[in-house]
Amino acid sequence: MLKKLLVAATILTLPATALAHHGWSSYDDQKVLKVRAPLMDLKWGNPHGTAKVRYNNAVWDVILAPVSRMEARGLTKEMVGPGKAVVLEGYPRKDGTKEMRIERVTATGKTVELR
Amino acid sequence: MIAAAAEWVAATPFAEWAAGSALAYPVANTVHVLALVMLLGGIGLVDLRMLGLFRRLPLEPLARALVPIAATGVAIMVLSGATMFAADAEAMAASETFRIKLVLIALALGNVALFRWRYGAVPSGRVGAGTKLLALASLLLWTGTAIAGRLIAYT
Repeated sequence: MLKKLLVAATILTLPATALAHHGWSSYDDQKVLKVRAPLMDLKWGNPHGTAKVRYNNAVWDVILAPVSRMEARGLTKEMVGPGKAVVLEGYPRKDGTKEMRIERVTATGKTVELR
Repeated sequence: MIAAAAEWVAATPFAEWAAGSALAYPVANTVHVLALVMLLGGIGLVDLRMLGLFRRLPLEPLARALVPIAATGVAIMVLSGATMFAADAEAMAASETFRIKLVLIALALGNVALFRWRYGAVPSGRVGAGTKLLALASLLLWTGTAIAGRLIAYT
């Protein structure tokens, strides 16, 4: 019985192991995007901050980190507030959606890692 | 329907708090996991007992102890889940995995209702084939719900 259950449990969890892991693997870290521009439509919220940024004549979605992580590392909402040029380093989505996940942000002369 | 609910909830002060507070989301997330332990650890053991494991434990007192723990876990997860949904409603509305999770929850709760209607809140006496079938369904549906929930962030 227990053996059967273990087999059933293994089969049940197979899709979980076969699927790619969270977020980062949906992005192509071989293509580093570096953008210097002010953030628009900033949402300083959980599960992670989001914003929009103009890049190569298009508006991209920007995925930041959870609020408490960014603040613990010294990045505040004010530092990336409206009109302030920040430097974003991140990766585009593999599926071609205009969305980038940010590895590090440089704002007011300070660089903060988001991973 | 989920999109409409998401749009409505996103405009509430509750959603603003859920997304805006640095603590609300991680706390809800943690509580959700702990309550899931109550649910699966509770009902899962009762299900396994009905399926024939650890027969030396009498079913009725086991169920009497564990079913309320599982039910409390569900009640807590409704609250913690609502908090996380509100914080991220737009993404949830677009998530296929979240929809699958809702269907699994509906099926699992339907299974609970069917079991209670057929065998009562606390199973006692002989465990027949029908009981076993519903116990297996319970185990698979709740486990599937947990897997779908965990995969929302990864799909």
